Amino acid sequence: MTPIIPTPDTLPIPAPVPLIAFLQHLTFLAHLLFMNALFGGLALSYVGFRRGRDPRNPEYRLADAVTKLLPTLFAGTVTFGVAPLLFMQVLFGNFFYTASIAVGWAWLGVIGLLLLAYYATYYNAFRGPRLGAGARGAVALAATLLVALIAFVYSNNMSLMLRPDRWTALYLAAPGGTSLNLGDAELWPRYLHMVLGALAIGGLLLALWGRTRRDAEVAALAVRRGIAFFAWTTAANLAVGLWFVFALPRNVRMEMMGEVPLSTALFGVGFLLGLAVFAIALVMRFAERPRSPVPLATLALVLLAVMVLLRDTVRGGHLAAWFRPEAFTVRTQGLPLALFALLLVAGLAVVVWMARALLAGGKSDGDAG
Amino acid sequence: MNFPVWELEMGGGVLIAVVSAIHVFVAHFAVGGGLWLVLTEGLAHRRGDAELRGYVKRHSKVFILITLVLGAVTGVAIWFTTALVSPATLMVLTRAYLWGWAMEWVFFLVEIAAALVYWYGWEKLDPRRHRLVGWIYFGAAWMSLVVINGIVTFMLTPGRWLETGEFWHGFFNPTYWPSLAVRTAISLALAGVFTLLTTALLPHGPLRSRLSRYNAAWVLVGVVLAAAAAYWYRGAFPGWDDALLGAIPVLPVVVALMRWALVAVCVLALWPLASPRGWRATPAVLLMAAALVAFGAGEWVREAGRKPYTIHGHLYSTGLHVGDEEARVAADGVVAHTKWIDPAVRDGHDPAALGGHLYRAWCQPCHTRDGYNGLDPFLAHKDGGELRDLLPLLDAMRALMPAWHGDDGETAALAAHLAAGDGVADFPDDPDAAGRLAWGLSCGLCHTVDGYRPLRETLAGMGRDELADLLDTLTDYSERMPPYAADAAEREHLLDRLEALAAAEPASVAAAAGSPVVAERRAP
Repeated sequence: MTPIIPTPDTLPIPAPVPLIAFLQHLTFLAHLLFMNALFGGLALSYVGFRRGRDPRNPEYRLADAVTKLLPTLFAGTVTFGVAPLLFMQVLFGNFFYTASIAVGWAWLGVIGLLLLAYYATYYNAFRGPRLGAGARGAVALAATLLVALIAFVYSNNMSLMLRPDRWTALYLAAPGGTSLNLGDAELWPRYLHMVLGALAIGGLLLALWGRTRRDAEVAALAVRRGIAFFAWTTAANLAVGLWFVFALPRNVRMEMMGEVPLSTALFGVGFLLGLAVFAIALVMRFAERPRSPVPLATLALVLLAVMVLLRDTVRGGHLAAWFRPEAFTVRTQGLPLALFALLLVAGLAVVVWMARALLAGGKSDGDAG
Repeated sequence: MNFPVWELEMGGGVLIAVVSAIHVFVAHFAVGGGLWLVLTEGLAHRRGDAELRGYVKRHSKVFILITLVLGAVTGVAIWFTTALVSPATLMVLTRAYLWGWAMEWVFFLVEIAAALVYWYGWEKLDPRRHRLVGWIYFGAAWMSLVVINGIVTFMLTPGRWLETGEFWHGFFNPTYWPSLAVRTAISLALAGVFTLLTTALLPHGPLRSRLSRYNAAWVLVGVVLAAAAAYWYRGAFPGWDDALLGAIPVLPVVVALMRWALVAVCVLALWPLASPRGWRATPAVLLMAAALVAFGAGEWVREAGRKPYTIHGHLYSTGLHVGDEEARVAADGVVAHTKWIDPAVRDGHDPAALGGHLYRAWCQPCHTRDGYNGLDPFLAHKDGGELRDLLPLLDAMRALMPAWHGDDGETAALAAHLAAGDGVADFPDDPDAAGRLAWGLSCGLCHTVDGYRPLRETLAGMGRDELADLLDTLTDYSERMPPYAADAAEREHLLDRLEALAAAEPASVAAAAGSPVVAERRAP
């Protein structure tokens, strides 16, 4: 069946494609950092509440401290999730909307899942001290599973938007939007790759944050647990990543295996960086004296940026037959673009100022409640 | 046509309406509530009123739980639902107003960060700095309204953008300023509506009484300002007078609903002003419900005012672009431009099956079968032949529908799908109800009795025989008047109704509402 591809709107796009793509990748990277910290933090807080039943136990204290961070991480995840979705729609709207409609109910269901998970994290943060460790662990687990379910729906939509050949049959079989992209060989490795990556980076961010804690026991535990989380999930992810590569269509895989220099370079660098960070984490995990996680985190951040770009080349490879950015008419909206740039710089400066003022004024690690 | 249509039983419009109503209610509260927080905190500080400060602090916790979570997530939900229900609209908006959305996102980012710092900073920031963060919050929240208002009003009145395609021409459009005034005023009122609820939960005492009066004043000042701004808005609203006379059948009902809900808001807000000690949670909840209904109805009016477009004068609700694309569809027929048709039926060998796909692509963006904008009650009385006559006249009907550009074969296919039965259905036993239904199935499709395209004056004084003669010669009056082809029973019900109208005194509104259609023998 010949794929049906909705045509992009004939209006010009308001800036050159590389600029929009750059903003998409940049904001997506920020979203990943928040989302990974959230997802990893939720999982780690569950582990902490399970292992440390007593509020005096460092496991409990660590989980408690992480729990207080989670609402802010959730806010960052949602806020920085909006921007890349916006920029992506300018370039890939016709692919993205069609896939969204095919999985309509699941896609809309993300909103309900998001609300439940978001309120669960607030509940644990605000009401937590009055709940027992068991209840707090249960809430953390529920929120973790809800976020994992959201990720699954995202993987369905984002993988389906790359498979126009699957759209017509899926849509005509269920125009009510009750489908999922389960028949796609890429779905599961893609999903697991994202989830394991999120847990790994989340663990690492926890280690980074934890080492600054005043409570020495909690600080040591945070670094140890975070690095261990990173090491084991990265090990698993190296295997899942290879599974993902071999699940890709042959043309896309071959682009990463030498046919397209950029894709090949990104894949090669990404793979080597993956091995390197795993090795470093392993060394740190079994080192006699604790080592600073900063070098590892720096390398992991580079790896994450490489993965964001590699993801984009994979998307381009899938849609090569239909995605023609060179066919877009470009009419740069100079003043609105300049205003946005100015506001972005000013806005970030204000956010940094407020955060610093808050941190400088902090007399304790607790919340205001 | 370009995108697949999400087949939603409740109707896509209803889903968007529900999500939007919740979001705008919370989002406007997020703006006005921010101003309330920082002003009231300042008041507590100046008076050294620790009790009031404590209340503001507790209220700010409720505030972030509502605005940061429900407000932000339902904002995302509007994007999701619009992408599902009207992707063509988002294709336009993301291109024409990408930088508008991006600016709005920056304000959203600052707003979220400021709300968090405000909450976590109660005991960590010095009072002056804390209030500064509150002002940053309010400034960012209001600026996000300033930006989003430009895009929302662009969809209703794109103004010069239609000719120039310039960002600012569409942004500062004819309804921009009045809409901004209305929304800002509503934000103030909603700040009072929400705080009146948390006030009602306070223990009885002087603080509760003081706050009840104070918050009620926010509601009333906001409502009065909003009403004044709405009057200004009305003047810029496209086709307002016709719409109220029935050009958009649902609009008079929604406007009435909005007015009554506003009256309820005012009455309920006067209560704590007159009797602050008697203020309770139950009326506070009722006040919130009335405010939600009033605001939701207002948004409904705006949405209805765009008919039959999602972007007025540029994009129809069906996803068809006005201009070249519509001309191409008119020339080539609809099948050639409807992408999501099962290839097995595209050749038309099974007209009803092809019609089903055409229905989904061209009717379902606005209609359901038996829910909102449901067609079944109408279709039960129409056979295929009648529908074939009516489909080419869609754009002449009330309710402002887009034109149907199908050729004869495509029209027959759609009619075959729509005419599920023989077009003969029961009428109510009550003669008056039966007459009204018969009117709605025929004359009422394009005319009203006394409002938009009124018929009462034309019919005045005509006898049953004259009316019957009129029904038999309808096509003489206009090329776009369809023949009257109902069965004998329905015809009798309609004649009963027309006879009753002909015998009744003309309503005063009829004289003012324009010339009788039939007398002038012109197209509707």
